[in-house]
Amino acid sequence: MSPIECEHALRQIELYLDGELVGFERVEVERHLGECTPCSGHSEFQRRLKEMLRAKCGCDEVPAELMERIRSMVEASDPHRPLS
Amino acid sequence: MASSQAAPPQDAALRERFERDVLPLLSSLYGAALRLTRNPQDADDLVQETYLRAYRGFGGFQEGTNLRAWMYRILTNTFINSYRKKQREPVTVQDGEVEDWYLYDKLGESGVEASAETEVLEKIPDEDVQRALEDLPENFRMAVLLADVEGFSYKEIAEILGIPIGTVMSRLHRGRKALQKALWETVRERGLVTD
Repeated sequence: MSPIECEHALRQIELYLDGELVGFERVEVERHLGECTPCSGHSEFQRRLKEMLRAKCGCDEVPAELMERIRSMVEASDPHRPLS
Repeated sequence: MASSQAAPPQDAALRERFERDVLPLLSSLYGAALRLTRNPQDADDLVQETYLRAYRGFGGFQEGTNLRAWMYRILTNTFINSYRKKQREPVTVQDGEVEDWYLYDKLGESGVEASAETEVLEKIPDEDVQRALEDLPENFRMAVLLADVEGFSYKEIAEILGIPIGTVMSRLHRGRKALQKALWETVRERGLVTD
C-alpha cells in the first residue's frame, strides 16, 4: 500500500462518511479502506464520533408546555397573514 | 379575516397538513434551538417563533419539496436575525495548530488501545459533548449541527444557510477539528485517559 494512496484516502474520509462521495471516487475509497487497516481504523473512529455526536446532542426532550403552546398557536392563527 | 370567523375549508386543510407534517419535526428543531441559543428559555422562544413564521408561510410551501430543510432555514434565519445579538460569542478558535485526526491521535498517544478508542467516546457525558458543540463559534456550530446531528447533505446545508458548498465544507472541517480539541480537553479533565 503506497503512502500516497493512504494520504489520498485519509483526505477523502470526511467526504466519504458524510455521504458526499459518489461513483468511482467512492468505490476507490471503499476499496482502500477494505485493504488498509490503519486507514479503516481512522475511518471507523470518525464514523463513531459522528454517531456519538448525533446520539448525545440530539436527545433533548421537548417541554410539554412548548408543544401545547405551538398547537394552540396553530389553532388560533390565520395561516395567510404574514408576519410584519 | 377576523379571528372570530370560522376558517374557510382550505385553511382547515392547510392546518391539518401542517399538524401532520411539521409538528413531528418539533423534537429535532428544539434540540437544534438549544444548541444554537444555549439556554432553554431562548430555545423555547426561538422554536415558537419558527413555528409561527412557518405556519404563516406554509401556504406558499410547495408540497413534495424538502420540508425539513425549509424548517431549518426558518429556524437558522430566525436565530440569526432575532437571537444572535443577545449571544455571547465564544472566543475565536485558533484552529491552525489543530491537526486533522487530532482526537484519534491524542487518544493513541495516551496509550488507549485501538479497539478502546470508541469506548472512551461513549464515556464522555452527554452534557459535556453538548457544551463542546455549543462553545464552537456560531458559523462552525451551525455547520456541524446540521451535518452531524441533523444529517443534512452539504447541498442542503448550503441552501439552509445561504452559503456556497465550498464554505460549508470549510466550516465543517474547521468546526470538527475545534470540536475534537474541546472533546480531548474534556477527556483529560474527566480522567478518561491517563496521561
